[in-house]
Amino acid sequence: WVPEPADGEVAFANSVNPATGTGVKVRMVANRTKGQRFIRVEGNPDHPLSRGGVTPADATALQLHYSDAYRVRAPQWREPATGAPRRVSWDKALNYVAGELKKLKDQGKEHTVVMLGDDPKTAESELMMRFMASYGSPNLAFTPSAAQTWDLACVLMSGNYDIGFDLEGAEYVVSFGTPLFEGFGAPVATRKALSAWRDNDVKFVQVEPRASVTAGRANTWLACKPGTEGAVALGIASALVKEGAYDKDLASQALGFEDGGDGPGFKALLLNDYTPEKVAAITGVPKDKLLKVAKAFAKAPKALAVCGPDNSGDPGRLYDFMAVLALNMLKGNLGKEGGLLVRQPLPVNPLGEQLKVSAKPRLDGGHEKPLAVTNLAALAEGAVKGDPYKPGAVIIVGSNPLFTGPQANLIREMLDKAPLVVAVTPFMDETAQLADVVLPAKTFLESWGDSGTAYGSPVSAYGIHKPLIAEPGEAKATGDCLLALAKVMGGEVAKALDFDNMEKVLKTKCADMGDFRKLAEKGYWVQEKPLIGKFCFSTSSGRPEFKSSGLEIVLMRMAEKAGNKDFLAGLGIDPKKADLAAMPHYQKPQALAKVDKKYPLLMAGIPSLRTAQASLPASPYMMKVLSDETLAYKNNLVVEINPATAAELGLAEDDGIAIESASGEIKAIVHLFEGAAPGMVFVPMGLGHTAFGEYLKDKGDNFQKAVMVTTDAMSGLPQWGLSPVRVKKAKGAAHV
Amino acid sequence: MSSSKGKHKYGMVIDLDKCTGCGACSVACMSENNIGVLPDETDKIRSITWLRVYQIDNGKAYPETEVAFIPRPCQHCEGSHGHHTPCVSVCPATATDYDEETGIVSQVPTRCIGCRYCVAACPYHARYFNWYDVPWNNGLDKPLSPFVSPRMRGTVEKCTFCFHRYQQAKNKAIVEETEIGEMDYQTACTEACPSGAITFGDLLNPEHKVHELAQEDNAFRLLERLGTNPKVYYRTDREWVRRQLDNYLPGEQPDRVKVGG
Repeated sequence: WVPEPADGEVAFANSVNPATGTGVKVRMVANRTKGQRFIRVEGNPDHPLSRGGVTPADATALQLHYSDAYRVRAPQWREPATGAPRRVSWDKALNYVAGELKKLKDQGKEHTVVMLGDDPKTAESELMMRFMASYGSPNLAFTPSAAQTWDLACVLMSGNYDIGFDLEGAEYVVSFGTPLFEGFGAPVATRKALSAWRDNDVKFVQVEPRASVTAGRANTWLACKPGTEGAVALGIASALVKEGAYDKDLASQALGFEDGGDGPGFKALLLNDYTPEKVAAITGVPKDKLLKVAKAFAKAPKALAVCGPDNSGDPGRLYDFMAVLALNMLKGNLGKEGGLLVRQPLPVNPLGEQLKVSAKPRLDGGHEKPLAVTNLAALAEGAVKGDPYKPGAVIIVGSNPLFTGPQANLIREMLDKAPLVVAVTPFMDETAQLADVVLPAKTFLESWGDSGTAYGSPVSAYGIHKPLIAEPGEAKATGDCLLALAKVMGGEVAKALDFDNMEKVLKTKCADMGDFRKLAEKGYWVQEKPLIGKFCFSTSSGRPEFKSSGLEIVLMRMAEKAGNKDFLAGLGIDPKKADLAAMPHYQKPQALAKVDKKYPLLMAGIPSLRTAQASLPASPYMMKVLSDETLAYKNNLVVEINPATAAELGLAEDDGIAIESASGEIKAIVHLFEGAAPGMVFVPMGLGHTAFGEYLKDKGDNFQKAVMVTTDAMSGLPQWGLSPVRVKKAKGAAHV
Repeated sequence: MSSSKGKHKYGMVIDLDKCTGCGACSVACMSENNIGVLPDETDKIRSITWLRVYQIDNGKAYPETEVAFIPRPCQHCEGSHGHHTPCVSVCPATATDYDEETGIVSQVPTRCIGCRYCVAACPYHARYFNWYDVPWNNGLDKPLSPFVSPRMRGTVEKCTFCFHRYQQAKNKAIVEETEIGEMDYQTACTEACPSGAITFGDLLNPEHKVHELAQEDNAFRLLERLGTNPKVYYRTDREWVRRQLDNYLPGEQPDRVKVGG
């Protein structure tokens, strides 16, 4: 049997894929009898950032949209008595959820309701914030991201946030452990920079422990020990200072560069603690290689240092990001072409008066962390322990934390403990399978919604998508699901979310972006010019700060609260070197300290645009293009181990193994790869789904199952880039 | 109107130093050309991928290791002595042919008798056989393109340089009484590539970018010395990549080997 695709008139429409930030053109065909359907998603050549390019997730978005195995088409409710899910009406589903939430509120337990989302920059996320604030719970968390760490570092040292990297304008680039071409920012825009570098002979350096895709594209790969990328940045900064090749104007104005009344400055710290010899000892990068890169960095007029999410998608360590920012400051990169640029704020309006978030203690214990950033993993841990209270309900909007983690097993435990789990999602994913109530959401092709600026972008970018074809079925736009729930809830919540529909929400949000109809037709708004030459320091001192006064104040408050200086040890800082706490410095990642006889290896993830994008599942076509180095014959997950390490463990190519951590176990087969750092196991991420049917289910195993989350003591953000594991040979599981 | 009758040699140049192995070209090709998908795609004997992206590495010990990616569409061989394309020369059914007008090696599934001589003759593993009908279940048939016929079991298929796009461009040129411009005819993979690693156009037309790129010193072709005279060129500054893509002797310098031309 061969299908005959119905022909008809072809039409195009602009849209944006909110999962990738790519501006796309959607091709539709209208058949006279069979009606209109989507046939292709292509790049939008007019979009200034993606310029016609796409990612695999964009090009195959229709497979997700149309898949009967992936989509959830009607509300589902799990009968408490039998536990069996059944199809119900919207009214019944909404009344049930609203009723349960009201019951919790009547019992004074509204603060125990948890809401989880993926992307905090969308209109839906603003609705979520309004929902939670008006309902009275502080437990709203989004997928932890490097943007949080970077914003913190930038605010602490420059007083600005919304700072991006002018990759395309740079003439020499050093990337510290971030997978520029696997999982950094908007994937298409970043690749456009690579293309420009090749055309203009711009050299770039990748610092990381594995011969990754990015390392392979780089002109120089500095292989460092895991988790020491920040120390490499400090080593380069130290060489700049030693040679006098730094921005002396900025340094002379800066706070905490020279020694002061309150102790040694950043300059002394660099010259004493981060000499090439000491950095070589910490990082394993030979001194001469380090100095060669430092020299090239000093010499290039526009040299840029970049940081971001690590290979496992981990949000990064605050002090490492501060080190990279300090290196850029010393290079005089702030506000310069090819340097760090402050983005023009998006001209968007708030959806109403700002609402006060409940002051009750949060499940993630955020109020006790220095910088009080929400932490999804800590929230799950608090919920599992019932500390300070048990979760009353968990509402998950447009994300799949049961698969994407961090630490999937921990999230599973939290959902198991919660008396009510609600999932608002277009897909019958792992989380939805476990939920008591599933509210079906539309995909971006059939609904109103938006997307914000991607991590690292030097200019602000906004994307808007609209319903292109009126699809049959009961799904509603994600935002409309929240609005409908708010309406049924009534009271404060309905007042806070008083909009007829998502279209009205976006009209309010985008009132200052010109004609709404034209904006929706175009599909994007992008800042016209990068802000070059403009950079004001808005720190409390009004100066650039190598020793952050903001951080000092926070630390002082903590010291007062703690009554003594012991709290510094809890932040990983030697009380004798208390000055360090407000300055960029190298701290050994906590995971390294946890490597012991029981768990002697370190596990890290391998990101790929072929396996996942944000919380989206891989499409059937994406599974098709996986190479034998990722998913081998019979759907075995392939992990990389250095041949020397494998020999020590008695492992050979294609051996079946189990990777075990204190959290869980992954089944895989071994691929001996010279490019893998010794003592480590590298695991492809985004595979091993237990949902989505025959094209995706049970193919490989989920990296997140064996992840062990730690917490960045200073930022409070979860860290899962490195996990201590052990490897055991599996019996009879060897590959054919 | 002259162009629609004129002689072209369509080809592409793939910059391996720009390729990040993301697979966008490959999946864009699949959605453009209605390529089937099976529940188990790790069985590469049955998996059909017109444009497959291979991963290679230099095999050096840590930390000197490097990886690279090789996107491999049909190479559209011209043959070194008068259109002796390996697959065309063995096809008993004229199901695959060398098009004099465009230089494209065609594939006509309705003529294919499934003998698979061409699959054996192709040195690039660019040809695939449909052992079974594609299931097209779970809604996967919904976004099928009406411009390319899905293939039936028992036939061979391969990359056609999106020939239907050439036909559309040609029709447009005839109606508008103009020539087919460089951007009027581009393959789906070229358009999709987010890092601009693929350049497509008429190798004979000096105004097309490929014309110049294919002449550059670091441009070469896969297994060049077989004399297949392909129209897909690659370029890289990395000698180890170049070495792996043809059979060089240990001491030999992989300077550009010109065979046939």
